[in-house]
Amino acid sequence: MNTVYFGLELRRIGRDLVSMFFIAILPAFMYLIFGAAQDYGQESAGNGNVTMYVMISMAAYGAVTATTGIGGMAAVERMQGWGRQLGLTPMPDSQYVLVKSLIGLCIAGVPVALVYLLGELTGADGTVSAWLLSGLLVMVGAAVFAVFGLVFGLAFRSEAAVGAASGILVIFGFLGNLFFPLDGVLLAIAKFTPLYGYVSLARRPLTEGYLVDQTTGQAEFEPLWVAVTNVSVWLLILSLLAIWLVRRGRGRQ
Amino acid sequence: MSSPSAPAIELRGLHKSFTRPGHPSVEAVRGVDLTVDRGQIVAFLGPNGAGKTTTLDMVLGLTEPTSGTALVYGDRPRRAITAGRVSAVLQTGGLLRDLTVRETVRMIASTFPRAADVDDVLERAGLADQRDRMVSKCSGGEQQRLRFALALLPDPELLILDEPTAGMDVAARHDFWAAMRAEADAGRTVVFATHYLEEADSFAERIVMIAQGRVIADGTTAEIRSRATGRTVTASLPPGRVGSVAAALREQEHVAEVSLAGSRITVRTGDSDRVALALLTELGGTELEITTGSLDDAFLAITGDDQLHTGADTEIDTQADTQEGVR
Repeated sequence: MNTVYFGLELRRIGRDLVSMFFIAILPAFMYLIFGAAQDYGQESAGNGNVTMYVMISMAAYGAVTATTGIGGMAAVERMQGWGRQLGLTPMPDSQYVLVKSLIGLCIAGVPVALVYLLGELTGADGTVSAWLLSGLLVMVGAAVFAVFGLVFGLAFRSEAAVGAASGILVIFGFLGNLFFPLDGVLLAIAKFTPLYGYVSLARRPLTEGYLVDQTTGQAEFEPLWVAVTNVSVWLLILSLLAIWLVRRGRGRQ
Repeated sequence: MSSPSAPAIELRGLHKSFTRPGHPSVEAVRGVDLTVDRGQIVAFLGPNGAGKTTTLDMVLGLTEPTSGTALVYGDRPRRAITAGRVSAVLQTGGLLRDLTVRETVRMIASTFPRAADVDDVLERAGLADQRDRMVSKCSGGEQQRLRFALALLPDPELLILDEPTAGMDVAARHDFWAAMRAEADAGRTVVFATHYLEEADSFAERIVMIAQGRVIADGTTAEIRSRATGRTVTASLPPGRVGSVAAALREQEHVAEVSLAGSRITVRTGDSDRVALALLTELGGTELEITTGSLDDAFLAITGDDQLHTGADTEIDTQADTQEGVR
């Protein structure tokens, strides 16, 4: 592992204050508004309270914003010629992927750590296993969205496109039952959108799979396969797209 | 495979064509055979789109040939890169805009098992004063020197430069070639692509002309020059003999053109020695001068068109020269 390269990459991303705001500060802020500051926060949500439910959601949002940005920038920097520069060094592609993956992990860890810390300080409550497992699932699942960013970067080859990809995450957040609970037709649609499976899985250690129907107030159980299928299918779609785009890019050089 | 006597570069029947869906395939390189010996300084001269960059990409292992082989020190290009024996300044080598100059050098240095000292390399590339500047704030010439600094990191035996001075003003170009000469004097083999004739003329000892994916001429700078126009011999003749001498010379098969201005005769010829000898002896000429045609003329004669003068870079060049004049 090339620690010098890793350290410089980390410094480079840390310098981008605008991105770091969207990755870390915005999710923390949204958690405080929609989670910690609400009256419903102390109501039960399975293995913990609603504040914790919001905490997991916002941490997940921050984590995917981070991995989308890093995946996208990796694609753009390679397309814009840094790949050729690295092609003149002994560094193998696998080393580059390893460095970028670890960077993604570190940067995604920032909003997760920050939001979970704020959660602990402002009344998020849950079992120890719910805390640990949800945190782990947020981090692992965020990796899927590195591929989402990669696809945008490969397809449009510009920093602006990567910014747009992060922006689209907000829409997927609403559609994916991430920012507030959906029901009825919207919930039915939500199950097909890319963030739904990811955030459902991350919350599962807390909710045990129960969804709250806001109109009836009744808890409804959703089998595990729904979320797992959603994540698997989206990972497959995005990976195939990425492979196709890489091939197209090679043919064009 | 790698043998101690293998030439720096050996290209055999090198072809490269690009295919895109919905387009006819483009043949960028159409059979290049070339050997570059160790310690040579070689210019690849040719207009834009001649196949220079594609050829160099295959030498560097960045592109796989469609057919034929490219060997660097008798080995596959990728192996030569990994061993740090070859390095390059790429025309379109991307830099990361949000790193400083020194960070960029450190980053690339970290990928080599043994790299030259970062500050020493910055010094040699003339970037000591800009080391903490963001790449995004660097001028085109500074970014080019940064690419040069990166190329020095593995302490390569073979240095490849693809249009190294494109976008530089005259002063920056002069400094760049001064730095380059120091590296060449240290015994490196240098191959550079350019479409500036004067760069090939003043820096290279051998010129390989490339057009439409093929090598169309290969020789020393002097050979290439004389190949097209030969040399021009001028002499003064005694009054009254001018007409007969001109007529006698025009009959020689190695004489291309004879023109007269008063008592002065100008002869363009492929064999200047014979013309000079004849003029000084039997024809009674005095005050003899022999000049070589310009590389520009040679290039036009060999390629048979003037595409070299229509490139966009020529315009930039003119602008740079104008700015220079204003200062």
